[in-house]
Amino acid sequence: MSNNVSLWALFKNGIFGENPVFRLALSLCPAVAVTSGVKNGFLMGVAVLFVMTMTNVTVSLLRNFINPKVRIPSYVFITATWVTVIDQVMAAYQRAVYKEMGLYIMLIVAFAIILSRAEMFASKNKLLPSFVDGIGMGLGFLLALVLLGVFREFLGKGSLWGVHILNAKPLLIMIMPAGGFFAVGLMMGWLNWIDRKFFGGTGGGGGGHH
Amino acid sequence: MKNILKITLPLVAIFVVAGVIMSMTYKYTHPVKVQAEKKEKEEALKEMAPDATDPIKVAGTWSADNKPYEYYQATAGGKSVAYIAETAGKGYSSFIKMLVSLSPDMKISDVKILDMNETPGLGDQVLEKSFLDQFKGKSLSQIVLIKGETKENIQAVSGATYSSRGVTNGVKAAVQLLVDKYGAGIKAAAQEVAK
Repeated sequence: MSNNVSLWALFKNGIFGENPVFRLALSLCPAVAVTSGVKNGFLMGVAVLFVMTMTNVTVSLLRNFINPKVRIPSYVFITATWVTVIDQVMAAYQRAVYKEMGLYIMLIVAFAIILSRAEMFASKNKLLPSFVDGIGMGLGFLLALVLLGVFREFLGKGSLWGVHILNAKPLLIMIMPAGGFFAVGLMMGWLNWIDRKFFGGTGGGGGGHH
Repeated sequence: MKNILKITLPLVAIFVVAGVIMSMTYKYTHPVKVQAEKKEKEEALKEMAPDATDPIKVAGTWSADNKPYEYYQATAGGKSVAYIAETAGKGYSSFIKMLVSLSPDMKISDVKILDMNETPGLGDQVLEKSFLDQFKGKSLSQIVLIKGETKENIQAVSGATYSSRGVTNGVKAAVQLLVDKYGAGIKAAAQEVAK
Protein backbone atom coordinates (compact mmCIF):
# COMPACT_ATOMS: atom_id res chain seq x y z
CA MET A 1 0.00 0.00 0.00
CA SER A 2 2.71 2.44 0.98
CA ASN A 3 4.84 1.96 -2.11
CA ASN A 4 2.61 3.92 -4.45
CA VAL A 5 1.22 6.41 -1.96
CA SER A 6 3.20 9.51 -1.14
CA LEU A 7 3.99 10.33 2.46
CA TRP A 8 1.96 13.53 2.22
CA ALA A 9 -1.09 11.58 1.11
CA LEU A 10 -0.51 9.21 4.01
CA PHE A 11 -0.33 12.12 6.41
CA LYS A 12 -3.53 13.66 5.04
CA ASN A 13 -5.25 10.31 5.12
CA GLY A 14 -4.98 10.18 8.88
CA ILE A 15 -6.46 13.63 9.31
CA PHE A 16 -9.21 13.64 6.68
CA GLY A 17 -9.68 10.51 4.61
CA GLU A 18 -9.56 8.07 7.49
CA ASN A 19 -10.03 10.32 10.48
CA PRO A 20 -9.98 7.94 13.46
CA VAL A 21 -13.11 9.31 15.08
CA PHE A 22 -15.27 10.62 12.24
CA ARG A 23 -14.36 8.13 9.52
CA LEU A 24 -13.00 4.95 11.06
CA ALA A 25 -15.25 5.49 14.10
CA LEU A 26 -12.58 3.97 16.29
CA SER A 27 -11.88 4.91 19.90
CA LEU A 28 -15.26 6.58 20.27
CA CYS A 29 -15.26 5.74 23.96
CA PRO A 30 -12.47 8.20 24.87
CA ALA A 31 -13.77 10.62 22.24
CA VAL A 32 -17.04 10.83 24.17
CA ALA A 33 -15.53 10.57 27.63
CA VAL A 34 -12.93 13.33 27.59
CA THR A 35 -14.41 15.94 25.26
CA SER A 36 -16.57 17.73 27.82
CA GLY A 37 -14.02 20.52 27.51
CA VAL A 38 -11.62 21.74 24.81
CA LYS A 39 -8.66 21.50 27.15
CA ASN A 40 -9.21 17.88 28.11
CA GLY A 41 -9.72 16.93 24.49
CA PHE A 42 -6.54 18.68 23.43
CA LEU A 43 -4.39 17.16 26.16
CA MET A 44 -5.74 13.69 25.48
CA GLY A 45 -5.09 14.21 21.77
CA VAL A 46 -1.47 15.16 22.41
CA ALA A 47 -0.92 12.08 24.57
CA VAL A 48 -2.47 9.83 21.93
CA LEU A 49 -0.43 11.48 19.17
CA PHE A 50 2.76 10.63 21.03
CA VAL A 51 1.87 7.07 22.01
CA MET A 52 0.52 6.37 18.55
CA THR A 53 3.69 7.53 16.79
CA MET A 54 6.00 5.67 19.15
CA THR A 55 3.97 2.46 18.96
CA ASN A 56 3.82 2.62 15.17
CA VAL A 57 7.57 3.13 14.96
CA THR A 58 8.35 0.31 17.38
CA VAL A 59 5.97 -2.14 15.77
CA SER A 60 7.36 -1.27 12.35
CA LEU A 61 10.94 -1.84 13.53
CA LEU A 62 10.05 -5.17 15.11
CA ARG A 63 7.65 -6.33 12.41
CA ASN A 64 9.88 -9.17 11.19
CA PHE A 65 10.70 -10.23 14.72
CA ILE A 66 7.15 -10.47 16.08
CA ASN A 67 5.59 -13.86 15.43
CA PRO A 68 2.19 -13.35 13.76
CA LYS A 69 0.61 -15.87 16.12
CA VAL A 70 1.34 -13.72 19.15
CA ARG A 71 1.23 -10.30 17.51
CA ILE A 72 -1.63 -8.88 19.58
CA PRO A 73 0.04 -9.40 22.99
CA SER A 74 3.24 -7.99 21.50
CA TYR A 75 1.50 -4.84 20.23
CA VAL A 76 -0.41 -4.30 23.45
CA PHE A 77 2.78 -4.71 25.44
CA ILE A 78 4.66 -2.25 23.26
CA THR A 79 1.84 0.27 23.69
CA ALA A 80 1.74 -0.35 27.43
CA THR A 81 5.49 0.23 27.68
CA TRP A 82 5.30 3.60 25.96
CA VAL A 83 2.28 4.64 27.98
CA THR A 84 4.05 3.74 31.22
CA VAL A 85 7.19 5.61 30.20
CA ILE A 86 5.19 8.72 29.32
CA ASP A 87 3.17 8.48 32.51
CA GLN A 88 6.28 8.29 34.67
CA VAL A 89 8.23 10.97 32.85
CA MET A 90 5.29 13.37 32.96
CA ALA A 91 4.58 12.65 36.61
CA ALA A 92 8.16 13.65 37.37
CA TYR A 93 8.82 16.57 35.07
CA GLN A 94 5.48 17.99 33.90
CA ARG A 95 3.44 18.15 37.08
CA ALA A 96 0.97 20.79 35.93
CA VAL A 97 0.05 18.93 32.75
CA TYR A 98 0.12 15.58 34.54
CA LYS A 99 -2.47 16.73 37.04
CA GLU A 100 -4.89 17.42 34.19
CA MET A 101 -4.06 14.39 32.09
CA GLY A 102 -2.93 11.76 34.58
CA LEU A 103 -6.35 10.16 34.66
CA TYR A 104 -6.47 9.56 30.94
CA ILE A 105 -2.95 8.50 30.08
CA MET A 106 -3.21 4.95 31.38
CA LEU A 107 -6.40 4.43 29.38
CA ILE A 108 -4.51 4.85 26.12
CA VAL A 109 -3.21 1.27 26.39
CA ALA A 110 -6.63 -0.05 25.47
CA PHE A 111 -7.43 2.39 22.67
CA ALA A 112 -8.72 0.61 19.59
CA ILE A 113 -7.18 3.14 17.24
CA ILE A 114 -3.62 2.43 18.39
CA LEU A 115 -3.94 -1.34 18.20
CA SER A 116 -5.68 -1.09 14.84
CA ARG A 117 -2.95 1.09 13.30
CA ALA A 118 -0.28 -1.29 14.57
CA GLU A 119 -2.16 -4.22 13.08
CA MET A 120 -3.35 -2.61 9.84
CA PHE A 121 -0.39 -0.43 8.99
CA ALA A 122 2.81 -0.48 11.02
CA SER A 123 3.17 -4.27 10.94
CA LYS A 124 3.16 -4.21 7.14
CA ASN A 125 5.13 -1.05 6.41
CA LYS A 126 8.61 0.38 6.70
CA LEU A 127 9.72 2.77 9.39
CA LEU A 128 9.14 6.11 7.65
CA PRO A 129 5.61 5.47 6.36
CA SER A 130 4.66 4.03 9.78
CA PHE A 131 6.00 7.13 11.48
CA VAL A 132 4.05 9.41 9.13
CA ASP A 133 0.91 7.30 9.56
CA GLY A 134 1.26 7.56 13.33
CA ILE A 135 1.60 11.34 13.16
CA GLY A 136 -1.27 11.72 10.71
CA MET A 137 -3.63 9.47 12.65
CA GLY A 138 -2.60 11.06 15.93
CA LEU A 139 -3.22 14.56 14.57
CA GLY A 140 -6.54 13.40 13.11
CA PHE A 141 -7.56 12.12 16.52
CA LEU A 142 -6.35 15.31 18.20
CA LEU A 143 -8.28 17.46 15.73
CA ALA A 144 -11.44 15.42 16.20
CA LEU A 145 -11.24 15.69 19.98
CA VAL A 146 -10.66 19.44 19.82
CA LEU A 147 -13.61 19.90 17.43
CA LEU A 148 -15.87 17.87 19.69
CA GLY A 149 -14.55 19.72 22.71
CA VAL A 150 -15.29 23.13 21.17
CA PHE A 151 -18.78 22.03 20.14
CA ARG A 152 -19.66 20.48 23.49
CA GLU A 153 -18.04 22.97 25.83
CA PHE A 154 -19.50 25.95 24.00
CA LEU A 155 -23.03 24.57 23.94
CA GLY A 156 -22.89 22.92 27.33
CA LYS A 157 -21.05 25.45 29.43
CA GLY A 158 -20.93 28.58 27.29
CA SER A 159 -17.15 28.63 27.60
CA LEU A 160 -14.05 27.64 25.64
CA TRP A 161 -10.87 26.29 27.29
CA GLY A 162 -12.45 27.14 30.62
CA VAL A 163 -12.97 30.81 29.71
CA HIS A 164 -16.56 31.95 29.94
CA ILE A 165 -17.87 33.45 26.72
CA LEU A 166 -21.61 33.25 27.11
CA ASN A 167 -23.20 34.01 30.41
CA ALA A 168 -25.54 31.08 29.98
CA LYS A 169 -25.56 27.37 29.29
CA PRO A 170 -27.37 27.00 25.98
CA LEU A 171 -27.61 23.21 25.97
CA LEU A 172 -26.49 21.61 29.22
CA ILE A 173 -26.98 18.08 27.94
CA MET A 174 -24.03 18.51 25.59
CA ILE A 175 -21.48 18.07 28.36
CA MET A 176 -23.27 15.06 29.80
CA PRO A 177 -22.27 11.63 28.48
CA ALA A 178 -25.38 11.47 26.29
CA GLY A 179 -24.42 14.76 24.69
CA GLY A 180 -21.13 13.19 23.64
CA PHE A 181 -22.99 10.76 21.42
CA PHE A 182 -25.12 13.57 19.98
CA ALA A 183 -22.00 15.59 19.27
CA VAL A 184 -20.13 12.72 17.59
CA GLY A 185 -23.17 11.85 15.48
CA LEU A 186 -23.94 15.42 14.45
CA MET A 187 -20.31 16.16 13.67
CA MET A 188 -19.94 12.98 11.65
CA GLY A 189 -23.05 13.80 9.65
CA TRP A 190 -21.95 17.37 9.10
CA LEU A 191 -18.51 16.32 7.84
CA ASN A 192 -20.10 13.76 5.53
CA TRP A 193 -22.40 16.45 4.18
CA ILE A 194 -19.40 18.70 3.47
CA ASP A 195 -17.58 15.82 1.84
CA ARG A 196 -20.50 15.06 -0.49
CA LYS A 197 -21.44 18.61 -1.28
CA PHE A 198 -18.01 20.11 -1.91
CA PHE A 199 -15.61 17.30 -2.58
CA GLY A 200 -17.82 14.84 -4.38
CA GLY A 201 -17.10 12.10 -1.89
CA THR A 202 -19.47 9.42 -0.80
CA GLY A 203 -19.24 10.16 2.91
CA GLY A 204 -18.02 7.68 5.41
CA GLY A 205 -18.40 6.51 8.92
CA GLY A 206 -17.39 3.04 9.89
CA GLY A 207 -18.82 0.28 11.98
CA GLY A 208 -18.05 1.78 15.35
CA HIS A 209 -15.77 0.32 17.97
CA HIS A 210 -14.98 1.37 21.49
CA MET B 1 8.29 -28.23 20.59
CA LYS B 2 10.50 -26.24 18.29
CA ASN B 3 7.50 -24.33 17.06
CA ILE B 4 6.44 -23.34 20.54
CA LEU B 5 9.89 -21.96 21.25
CA LYS B 6 9.86 -20.00 17.99
CA ILE B 7 6.64 -18.31 19.02
CA THR B 8 7.43 -17.84 22.66
CA LEU B 9 11.03 -16.66 22.65
CA PRO B 10 10.50 -13.42 20.69
CA LEU B 11 7.48 -12.63 22.87
CA VAL B 12 9.51 -13.22 26.02
CA ALA B 13 12.32 -11.11 24.58
CA ILE B 14 9.91 -8.22 23.97
CA PHE B 15 8.49 -8.53 27.48
CA VAL B 16 11.94 -8.58 29.06
CA VAL B 17 13.20 -5.58 27.10
CA ALA B 18 10.00 -3.66 27.82
CA GLY B 19 10.28 -4.54 31.48
CA VAL B 20 13.84 -3.25 31.60
CA ILE B 21 12.84 0.00 29.86
CA MET B 22 9.97 0.54 32.29
CA SER B 23 12.00 -0.18 35.39
CA MET B 24 14.83 2.08 34.24
CA THR B 25 12.35 4.91 33.67
CA TYR B 26 10.88 4.28 37.10
CA LYS B 27 14.31 4.28 38.72
CA TYR B 28 15.18 7.69 37.34
CA THR B 29 11.81 9.44 37.46
CA HIS B 30 10.41 8.23 40.78
CA PRO B 31 12.71 10.22 43.09
CA VAL B 32 12.02 13.36 41.05
CA LYS B 33 8.30 12.70 41.32
CA VAL B 34 8.39 12.21 45.08
CA GLN B 35 10.41 15.39 45.45
CA ALA B 36 7.98 17.37 43.29
CA GLU B 37 4.97 16.04 45.21
CA LYS B 38 6.53 17.02 48.51
CA LYS B 39 7.26 20.51 47.24
CA GLU B 40 3.73 20.91 45.92
CA LYS B 41 2.29 19.94 49.27
CA GLU B 42 4.47 22.45 51.06
CA GLU B 43 3.41 25.15 48.63
CA ALA B 44 -0.27 24.30 49.04
CA LEU B 45 0.08 24.50 52.81
CA LYS B 46 1.94 27.78 52.55
CA GLU B 47 -0.92 29.18 50.49
CA MET B 48 -3.37 28.17 53.20
CA ALA B 49 -1.42 30.01 55.87
CA PRO B 50 0.23 33.05 54.27
CA ASP B 51 1.10 34.55 57.67
CA ALA B 52 3.23 31.60 58.74
CA THR B 53 6.94 32.32 58.81
CA ASP B 54 8.15 29.03 60.33
CA PRO B 55 7.96 25.79 58.35
CA ILE B 56 4.49 24.27 58.71
CA LYS B 57 4.71 21.13 60.83
CA VAL B 58 2.52 18.05 60.85
CA ALA B 59 0.69 18.09 64.16
CA GLY B 60 -0.89 14.64 63.88
CA THR B 61 -3.08 12.36 61.84
CA TRP B 62 -6.78 11.75 61.92
CA SER B 63 -9.15 9.70 59.84
CA ALA B 64 -12.34 10.44 57.96
CA ASP B 65 -14.25 7.68 56.17
CA ASN B 66 -11.48 5.27 57.22
CA LYS B 67 -8.86 7.16 55.25
CA PRO B 68 -5.89 8.73 57.01
CA TYR B 69 -5.39 12.49 56.80
CA GLU B 70 -2.94 14.87 58.39
CA TYR B 71 -3.40 18.13 60.20
CA TYR B 72 -0.91 20.90 60.66
CA GLN B 73 -0.08 23.81 62.85
CA ALA B 74 1.30 26.95 61.24
CA THR B 75 3.31 29.27 63.41
CA ALA B 76 5.07 32.61 63.11
CA GLY B 77 7.76 33.23 65.69
CA GLY B 78 6.47 30.36 67.82
CA LYS B 79 2.91 31.74 67.93
CA SER B 80 0.07 29.86 66.19
CA VAL B 81 -1.32 31.76 63.22
CA ALA B 82 -3.35 29.02 61.57
CA TYR B 83 -4.50 25.44 61.89
CA ILE B 84 -4.80 23.39 58.72
CA ALA B 85 -6.38 20.00 58.14
CA GLU B 86 -6.57 17.68 55.20
CA THR B 87 -10.06 16.36 54.77
CA ALA B 88 -12.47 14.82 52.30
CA GLY B 89 -16.17 14.53 51.73
CA LYS B 90 -18.16 12.16 49.57
CA GLY B 91 -19.64 14.05 46.66
CA TYR B 92 -21.81 12.68 43.88
CA SER B 93 -19.21 10.67 42.01
CA SER B 94 -15.97 11.05 43.94
CA PHE B 95 -14.28 11.85 47.21
CA ILE B 96 -13.64 15.58 47.24
CA LYS B 97 -10.25 16.10 48.86
CA MET B 98 -9.66 19.44 50.51
CA LEU B 99 -7.46 21.56 52.73
CA VAL B 100 -9.21 23.67 55.34
CA SER B 101 -7.44 26.34 57.33
CA LEU B 102 -8.67 27.97 60.51
CA SER B 103 -7.51 31.19 62.07
CA PRO B 104 -6.60 31.09 65.79
CA ASP B 105 -10.15 32.28 66.67
CA MET B 106 -11.49 29.05 65.11
CA LYS B 107 -13.09 30.69 62.09
CA ILE B 108 -12.46 29.32 58.63
CA SER B 109 -9.92 31.36 56.74
CA ASP B 110 -9.67 29.30 53.57
CA VAL B 111 -10.95 26.17 51.84
CA LYS B 112 -9.11 24.69 48.93
CA ILE B 113 -10.17 21.69 46.85
CA LEU B 114 -7.17 19.52 46.01
CA ASP B 115 -8.74 16.70 44.11
CA MET B 116 -12.19 15.78 42.87
CA ASN B 117 -13.92 14.01 40.06
CA GLU B 118 -17.44 15.39 40.03
CA THR B 119 -19.67 15.67 36.98
CA PRO B 120 -18.24 18.29 34.61
CA GLY B 121 -20.62 21.20 34.21
CA LEU B 122 -22.70 20.35 37.28
CA GLY B 123 -20.79 19.01 40.26
CA ASP B 124 -17.56 20.77 39.40
CA GLN B 125 -19.25 24.11 40.05
CA VAL B 126 -18.25 23.65 43.68
CA LEU B 127 -14.76 24.63 42.52
CA GLU B 128 -16.02 28.13 41.81
CA LYS B 129 -14.93 30.97 44.04
CA SER B 130 -18.49 32.08 44.70
CA PHE B 131 -19.22 28.79 46.44
CA LEU B 132 -15.95 28.29 48.31
CA ASP B 133 -15.75 31.89 49.49
CA GLN B 134 -18.93 31.36 51.49
CA PHE B 135 -16.93 29.34 54.02
CA LYS B 136 -14.56 32.18 54.84
CA GLY B 137 -15.07 33.64 58.29
CA LYS B 138 -17.67 31.04 59.30
CA SER B 139 -17.47 29.13 62.57
CA LEU B 140 -18.40 25.50 63.23
CA SER B 141 -22.06 26.06 64.06
CA GLN B 142 -22.62 28.03 60.85
CA ILE B 143 -21.44 25.28 58.52
CA VAL B 144 -24.86 24.03 57.48
CA LEU B 145 -25.81 23.47 53.88
CA ILE B 146 -28.99 25.21 52.81
CA LYS B 147 -30.83 25.01 49.51
CA GLY B 148 -31.74 28.60 48.90
CA GLU B 149 -30.57 32.07 49.74
CA THR B 150 -28.51 32.39 52.90
CA LYS B 151 -25.87 34.68 54.26
CA GLU B 152 -25.54 33.01 57.66
CA ASN B 153 -24.92 29.44 56.39
CA ILE B 154 -23.66 27.75 53.24
CA GLN B 155 -25.78 27.98 50.11
CA ALA B 156 -25.73 24.86 47.93
CA VAL B 157 -24.94 25.31 44.24
CA SER B 158 -28.16 24.62 42.38
CA GLY B 159 -27.78 21.47 40.31
CA ALA B 160 -24.85 20.36 42.44
CA THR B 161 -26.45 19.58 45.79
CA TYR B 162 -24.58 16.32 46.37
CA SER B 163 -21.22 17.86 45.54
CA SER B 164 -21.99 20.89 47.73
CA ARG B 165 -22.91 18.52 50.55
CA GLY B 166 -19.65 16.61 50.07
CA VAL B 167 -17.61 19.77 50.41
CA THR B 168 -19.65 21.01 53.37
CA ASN B 169 -19.41 17.68 55.24
CA GLY B 170 -15.67 17.48 54.63
CA VAL B 171 -15.12 21.03 55.84
CA LYS B 172 -17.32 20.46 58.87
CA ALA B 173 -15.41 17.32 59.91
CA ALA B 174 -12.11 19.18 59.60
CA VAL B 175 -13.32 22.18 61.58
CA GLN B 176 -14.75 19.89 64.25
CA LEU B 177 -11.38 18.16 64.54
CA LEU B 178 -9.39 21.36 64.78
CA VAL B 179 -11.78 22.89 67.31
CA ASP B 180 -11.52 19.72 69.43
CA LYS B 181 -7.74 19.84 69.28
CA TYR B 182 -7.03 23.53 69.58
CA GLY B 183 -10.31 25.24 70.45
CA ALA B 184 -10.01 24.88 74.24
CA GLY B 185 -8.73 28.41 74.73
CA ILE B 186 -11.48 29.83 72.56
CA LYS B 187 -14.16 27.87 74.40
CA ALA B 188 -12.91 29.13 77.75
CA ALA B 189 -12.89 32.69 76.45
CA ALA B 190 -16.44 32.31 75.12
CA GLN B 191 -17.62 30.94 78.48
CA GLU B 192 -15.95 33.86 80.16
CA VAL B 193 -17.95 36.26 77.98
CA ALA B 194 -21.18 34.32 78.58
CA LYS B 195 -20.77 34.67 82.34
